[in-house]
Amino acid sequence: MKILVPVKRVVDYNVKVRVKADGTGVDLANVKMSMNPFDEIAIEEAVRLREAGIAKEVIAVSCGVAACQETLRTAMAIGADRSILVESDVDLQPLAVAKLIKAVAAKEQPQIVIFGKQAIDDDANQTGQMFAALMGWPQATFASKVVVSGDTASVTREIDGGAETLEFKLPMVITTDLRLNEPRYATLPNIMKAKKKQLDVLKPADLGVDVTPRLTTLKVSEPPKRGAGIKVADVKDLVAKLKNEAKVI
Amino acid sequence: MSLLVIAEHDNAALKAVTLNTVAAAQKIGGEIHVLVAGSGCAAVAAAAAKIAGVSKVKLADAAHYADQTAENLAALVQANAAGYSHILAAATGGGKNLLPRVAALLDVAQISEITAVESPDTFVRPTYAGNAMATVKSADAVKVITVRSTGFDPVAAEGGSAAVEAVAAAADLGLAKMTGREITKSARPELGAAKVIVSGGRGMGSGENYHKLLEPLADKLNAALGASRAAVDAGFVPNDYQVGQTGKIVAPQLYFAIGISGAIQHLAGMKDSKVIVAINKDEDAPIFQVADYGLVADLFQAVPELIAELG
Amino acid sequence: MSAYTPPLKDMQFVLRELAGIDKVAQLPGYEDASPDLVDSILEEAGKFAGGVLAPLNWSGDQEGASWKDKAVTMPAGFKAAYTQFAEAGWNGLSCDAAYGGQGLPKLVSAAVQEMWKASNMAFSLCPLLTLGAIEALHLSGSDQQKSTYLPNMIAGKWTGTMNLTEPQAGSDLAAIRSRAVPQGDGTYKIFGQKIFITYGDHDMAENIVHLVLARTPNAPEGVKGISLFVVPKFLVNADGSLGARNDAYCVSIEHKLGIHASPTCVMAFGDNGGAIGTMVGQENAGLKYMFIMMNAARFAVGLEGVALSERAYQHALAYAKERIQGRDIAGSAASVAIVHHPDIRRMLMQMKSLNEAMRALAYTVAAAHDAAARHPDEAERKRNQAYVDLMIPVVKGWLTETSNELTYLGVQIHGGMGFVEETGAAQHQRDARITTIYEGTTGIQANDLIGRKIAREGGATIKAVIGLMRQTEAELAQQPGAEFAVIKTALGKGITAVSEAADYIVANYGNDIRAVSVGAVPFLKLLGIVAGGWQMARAALVAQAKIAANDKDPFYPAKIATTRFYADHVLSTAAGLAHAVVHGGAGGMALDVAMF
Repeated sequence: MKILVPVKRVVDYNVKVRVKADGTGVDLANVKMSMNPFDEIAIEEAVRLREAGIAKEVIAVSCGVAACQETLRTAMAIGADRSILVESDVDLQPLAVAKLIKAVAAKEQPQIVIFGKQAIDDDANQTGQMFAALMGWPQATFASKVVVSGDTASVTREIDGGAETLEFKLPMVITTDLRLNEPRYATLPNIMKAKKKQLDVLKPADLGVDVTPRLTTLKVSEPPKRGAGIKVADVKDLVAKLKNEAKVI
Repeated sequence: MSLLVIAEHDNAALKAVTLNTVAAAQKIGGEIHVLVAGSGCAAVAAAAAKIAGVSKVKLADAAHYADQTAENLAALVQANAAGYSHILAAATGGGKNLLPRVAALLDVAQISEITAVESPDTFVRPTYAGNAMATVKSADAVKVITVRSTGFDPVAAEGGSAAVEAVAAAADLGLAKMTGREITKSARPELGAAKVIVSGGRGMGSGENYHKLLEPLADKLNAALGASRAAVDAGFVPNDYQVGQTGKIVAPQLYFAIGISGAIQHLAGMKDSKVIVAINKDEDAPIFQVADYGLVADLFQAVPELIAELG
Repeated sequence: MSAYTPPLKDMQFVLRELAGIDKVAQLPGYEDASPDLVDSILEEAGKFAGGVLAPLNWSGDQEGASWKDKAVTMPAGFKAAYTQFAEAGWNGLSCDAAYGGQGLPKLVSAAVQEMWKASNMAFSLCPLLTLGAIEALHLSGSDQQKSTYLPNMIAGKWTGTMNLTEPQAGSDLAAIRSRAVPQGDGTYKIFGQKIFITYGDHDMAENIVHLVLARTPNAPEGVKGISLFVVPKFLVNADGSLGARNDAYCVSIEHKLGIHASPTCVMAFGDNGGAIGTMVGQENAGLKYMFIMMNAARFAVGLEGVALSERAYQHALAYAKERIQGRDIAGSAASVAIVHHPDIRRMLMQMKSLNEAMRALAYTVAAAHDAAARHPDEAERKRNQAYVDLMIPVVKGWLTETSNELTYLGVQIHGGMGFVEETGAAQHQRDARITTIYEGTTGIQANDLIGRKIAREGGATIKAVIGLMRQTEAELAQQPGAEFAVIKTALGKGITAVSEAADYIVANYGNDIRAVSVGAVPFLKLLGIVAGGWQMARAALVAQAKIAANDKDPFYPAKIATTRFYADHVLSTAAGLAHAVVHGGAGGMALDVAMF
């Protein structure tokens, strides 16, 4: 069985992003980029399934600029066997990525595709579900536990206020939540091997996919600044402010 | 123009977040329909019909919607999508699972977690974990949107009188089968993961006071309990309660600092909390410099009052 | 507790632009070390350092290693972290591929080691000592010793120690008294006590391989009668499995100013009948082998200097941006973060500029070491080796002395909170304190520098280096702008100061060694400051070229501004040090011992 793992290159989670003064976006010049943390969890899960003898091959795929090759090398250092870059300078939105992955899946015929549940840049939380829809596959989103046996998988999903477990027939999509696993640190021998692993580069046109964006970003702004703190008169006032102003209780 | 809101429910009762979603639909403007899909969920449909501003409720009642699996629901929404300019759901676990699948079936983009409506095709949504607010305009004929409830004040649950219309269930795709569901009991959450934290400091005076005053407050708020180093050093609570530079670093939605002066090492552990409340009798305590809401008061009076006020 | 984020950007800049990783990757056997692979290695090593080692730094300091019943227990979390470290293969990064290492260049190892040391200095000493023992065995061991020990040591399953010092034999190893008695079967029984043995015992690995200096019966007196032995904690059976517990025990550990998590052991060999060992290399050649390894060990300790300074800088910078106190000195409505205060700014710049200078100097020396070992042209090998030999005492001495000054500033920036242990700034200063002492004090480094490295060869190498520095000075003169004028002038004066001081040393070492030696440490610092300034100037030239090529990365203007600060605040002290070297000898020795 093959497992396909789409990975995204995003601003490193430690970086505090700054909105550009002209409101056209966030400043990404010279900012450290890394693999989306949920995608690291996805790679880890796929590699564990291979190590458990359930999968034969783990293929990482990334859609985006040429520098995504670094992200794919990281995926291969964690343990992906080979990888594919669908190279494009266009702003690739979730629907376009889902279509690209569908085209890759048509070639590779994976039984499971594991996505991170969302990317920490656009926070869309869409691509896995969209890909599942396009394939007509079941989707086990926000997974916190995955057990594959034969051609079915039992997946525990995080839901509001708890968890639920469902059984799915393969092929299927899984999207990862934080608690699914703790990704390993790459070992030095694997980092060195990753450099020699196969990395194929394709273009959206090769796959016959139209990646034109459907959403236009008109403006990006700073979130409302935290106001200077205030002193409240009494407990009543405090509770009213927490309820109506801060909306946290 | 008509909009379709997907109701959030558990087959027995309508979830309140649906009211916030309807509020967002109202901001967009147009005739608002609500789709209730479930099993044995007539009561939910009846409740949805009473929501202020809703003109029609569509009810799809079938066994294979009982578990709200995205595969079957998305097919149903797709079958009922004709004529709607907008399809909305709450940005909950359920809504986020379902709507991207709906959007892909309709070959349109999905717009996640909007917090404001600028116009029928332009919305504001948070990106980068809320550090950048993006205003986005959709070019698609149908806008498929999840709504962050905190961005919209709920509409009234009562006052409407919409007609309930049964719609045919779509076929059961049989792609997913529920085998278990477990709703977490409200045990006290972990310090590192809690949305609300109640912390006490040296001002609590004793371990006994700490537990007597703060535990009921934490229970009310489903909060984790924390402490300053001073309270830990004084033996009020064990080490693993400590929030601060050498303890846990936390960033909950709401942080109560009670009887904590606000030493820099404590601030280092909690300053990224979204809302900070400080209760301290010393009005010059440094904790008030970082607090969003400061209450200068004797905590032995204020905390019981607070518990009572929270009801 | 503080977070540690490896300064990847500066590390990569130095590797690519100053140390020439691309050239190192052309050396025979180093073909794997392409810049993009090195980037991946640094990235992943950084994750490990920041994610696994750094969180144990403070807790390890507070808990410390503990000793009971002749055995050392490591602080919580260390054993698991070490296992993870070894299993990830980091221990073998620079080791021979024939025994399971990755055979990467010293230059790559230097950057990675900086991360281990910065994230958790006490932890890093265990793999450091293991590497030293690996190198000694690799260099001088028999084939059997190599196959018995190296694979497990390189894999990190077994760790290593270096047993040199005895109570009466510290800086002067000629006084060693430990005995090695031949048993007639090729083995020896070792008897004696060793002190200051780093990681002499611990619970992180299944075996510990002690390398021990001892005297055979009838060995000549002094340094010419010392042999090297390998003495494992558990004897190794013919099939490679572990056998009997050897008679080598940790009988106590020291209570120290810093590096609390690193057990500093008193080792007793042979208290119960004799510790069994085998001789490494030739009889009576032990000290010679130690000297071959000494460059590596001294270089590594020098890296500790830049590593701890970097950690202290990150700690202080985070605090300075956060701590609100006082109004802006030029007026402000509200209180401001202390980073706005000019004196805090000066201290941060002092730390930043010296960190960058130290890193550049250390990595370029590492690159020269690689060329000295592997360059196909013998003349190039010799030239690079001479540079390495000259600069090793400077890297060791200047970086560690400077780290004591910079970790001190790290505490100072924190104000009163810096003096409070919980803040964590003090730990860096305490941990830095040992670095000017072990592997040869600064005084010993400086004597080595002026004696063996300069006077003995009539200053040939340092004159060649001065020539290279003058070339950089000439390039600076071609650059536009006030900043380059300042940098050029300061570097020029610094080079002149080194040149005059070196001439004085060469001229007077033979006839007035005492007076010259009074100036040894000032000269070491002088050469460090100017060599660091030379590398900063080279960095500024690269930055200027990038800017001219329309690169908008703010790293480059920052590099030029940082170099300018270094010129005004650090290079400007060169003339004073040169004065102390050339004129300070008389005053230093003027008082008779009885007059003190």
